[in-house]
Amino acid sequence: MFVDFFYMLRDSGVPVSPTSFLRLHKALKSGLVTGLSDFYTAARAILVKSERYFDIYDQVFAHFFQGAELPDFKGAELDAAARALLDEWLKDPQALAEALGINQDELKAMSPEELLKYFLDRLKEQTEAHHGGSRWIGTGGTSPVGHSGFHPGGMRVGGRSMNKSAVKVALDRRYRDYSIEGPLTQAQMGEALKRLRRMVPVGPRDNLNIDETISATTKNAGEIEIVFDKGLRDRLKIILMIDNGGWSMDPYVEVVQTLFNYSRSQFKDLKTFYFHNSIYDFVWEDPPRRYKPQRIQDLASWDPDSRLVIVGDASMAPYELMATDGSIHIEERSGLPSIDRLNLLAKLFRHCAWLNPTPSRLWSMTRTIGIIYSIFPMFELTLDGLDGAVTQLMSRN
Amino acid sequence: MPDQGTNPAFSGSSKYVLDEELAKIVNISIALEMPLLLKGEPGTGKTMLAHSIAETLGMPLIVLNVKSSLKLVEALYQYDTLTRLNDSRFGDSSRDVSNIQDYIRMGKIGRAFVADTKTVLLIDEIDKADTDFQDDMLDVLDQMEFDIIEIDKTISARLRPVIIITSNAKKDLSDPFLGRCNFHHIAFPEPDMMRQIVRVHFSDLDNELLEICVKTFYGLRELQGIEKKPATRELINWIRALRQDHDFRPKDMVQGKIPFLGILFKKSPDYQQAVQQIRRRRS
Repeated sequence: MFVDFFYMLRDSGVPVSPTSFLRLHKALKSGLVTGLSDFYTAARAILVKSERYFDIYDQVFAHFFQGAELPDFKGAELDAAARALLDEWLKDPQALAEALGINQDELKAMSPEELLKYFLDRLKEQTEAHHGGSRWIGTGGTSPVGHSGFHPGGMRVGGRSMNKSAVKVALDRRYRDYSIEGPLTQAQMGEALKRLRRMVPVGPRDNLNIDETISATTKNAGEIEIVFDKGLRDRLKIILMIDNGGWSMDPYVEVVQTLFNYSRSQFKDLKTFYFHNSIYDFVWEDPPRRYKPQRIQDLASWDPDSRLVIVGDASMAPYELMATDGSIHIEERSGLPSIDRLNLLAKLFRHCAWLNPTPSRLWSMTRTIGIIYSIFPMFELTLDGLDGAVTQLMSRN
Repeated sequence: MPDQGTNPAFSGSSKYVLDEELAKIVNISIALEMPLLLKGEPGTGKTMLAHSIAETLGMPLIVLNVKSSLKLVEALYQYDTLTRLNDSRFGDSSRDVSNIQDYIRMGKIGRAFVADTKTVLLIDEIDKADTDFQDDMLDVLDQMEFDIIEIDKTISARLRPVIIITSNAKKDLSDPFLGRCNFHHIAFPEPDMMRQIVRVHFSDLDNELLEICVKTFYGLRELQGIEKKPATRELINWIRALRQDHDFRPKDMVQGKIPFLGILFKKSPDYQQAVQQIRRRRS
């Protein structure tokens, strides 16, 4: 029962485990679940383990039980591809009508949005069929409008009230704010970056080590022997380089600022530099990039165990990255293209990560992102991305 | 299938206003004998829930407040070596020094296991401990038994306690941990719910004041740039203060004069922000 539902959650990116699915069935057997609204609550409590996925759950639930529109969580590629295809086909409506199995008059009656939706629905069905998997209740038949198929009456079985039917509740999308796509707050960043530290003993020996004291005392035939240790401090060196130039970073100023503020308050040994678009001969310690330049070459003498974090959208004209005089600043004319500088940085600091505030589904559309991606491990500037970056930065090799 | 007689259903208590969804989740967790993990911003009543379950079901409540320094074994049992040393030196107690059993004291989880009646075990703010602690603890709770190494004895739970775990963390707990819990996120109460909650605390509050307070309160939560938004606790205290103040007229508040802002905004930058924004709004 509800196997399709389970797999639809999985396909939409909610990490659901088979164990929890079995547990849901145990709950169903217990007699406590007497209607769809009970099922909504029970399944969510048992299957979904983080409020970040509640929003997706709501959408999948509404889709499964009432055929509400399910956005494609896999991103924009399908969308873009579909649009391109559709544009092609729109030049030849006859072929389109044939391909979709409806006649031309019906086709004309549809608005472009409806048409696109219809087409996407068909397309989705097809990919599903290829996976040999779930049946998409709701995209029924050949009806020209997307979701008019399955519509169960009497949602509120048993009449237990939640003031609304479960589907209505799900459609409310109360948890939109908690979804992964929501903006990053400082507290969330703090949680994600907490693991970014290396504790080393420093300072005076003033921490009593009880275990050592006991064993030393027993070895000493019961005469008390007290052992002290140094306290642990965070001694991780972090170099943060921020792209603060150009309009392309403007939409992300707020999130980068949050990251910066958090880092400054949290890390003892933090160096912050600024650059514009890409890194050439210099980075700057001051945000206007004028007074305190830092030569990239000189970073070679720095501790190679420092963690290098670069924040930028990595989006620029390809020549800015590849050409020998790519910098838009006239004084940077050393004859080395930026890409060499980036390679040098990646070689100097083996623990490095590039945080990109643009959504990862758009990365493939910008060429320079692809190039930089091959040099630095790149992560999205989101909660999940930060998590990945921290894992990368703290890994041993 | 458990019938309603042996498994009493939970439907809220006198001090706690429960929404139906949460009641259902609590009941399912009790039926499945699974720990229930509650998340939500401070002031949504995560801790209160455990108290009210205990009260409603008539079970004793055992609270384990997690601290970052807490070790799992401390939550299970303690071997009181100091008393034993004392007894062996001075020998003036009824305890048998050669019997270590006499010096084992049960910790909070241990007490829930050996209790004669079913208990409610609240593990509060689990996110304060490190991941290993969390996973190890869930192992114990899953198997419902632990070993006392000193006397080589296994303690098994007589009755599986109702386990409620709360967490404030924005970040998720580890996967194995989550796999063994049911999960619920308590959203901040809607105004309707909030009115009920306030009613529970002040049964004689007049409607006009209640209405204006709740409205102002939600208005204040909307202010921009506030780090710690006022929560239920602040609202209750604020209303209490307003009722003490004999000069206060609800009409003043309609005009945007809000007394005792300090009760609602406890951080000084927040307070200043709030004062500024309210002034701007009035002018």
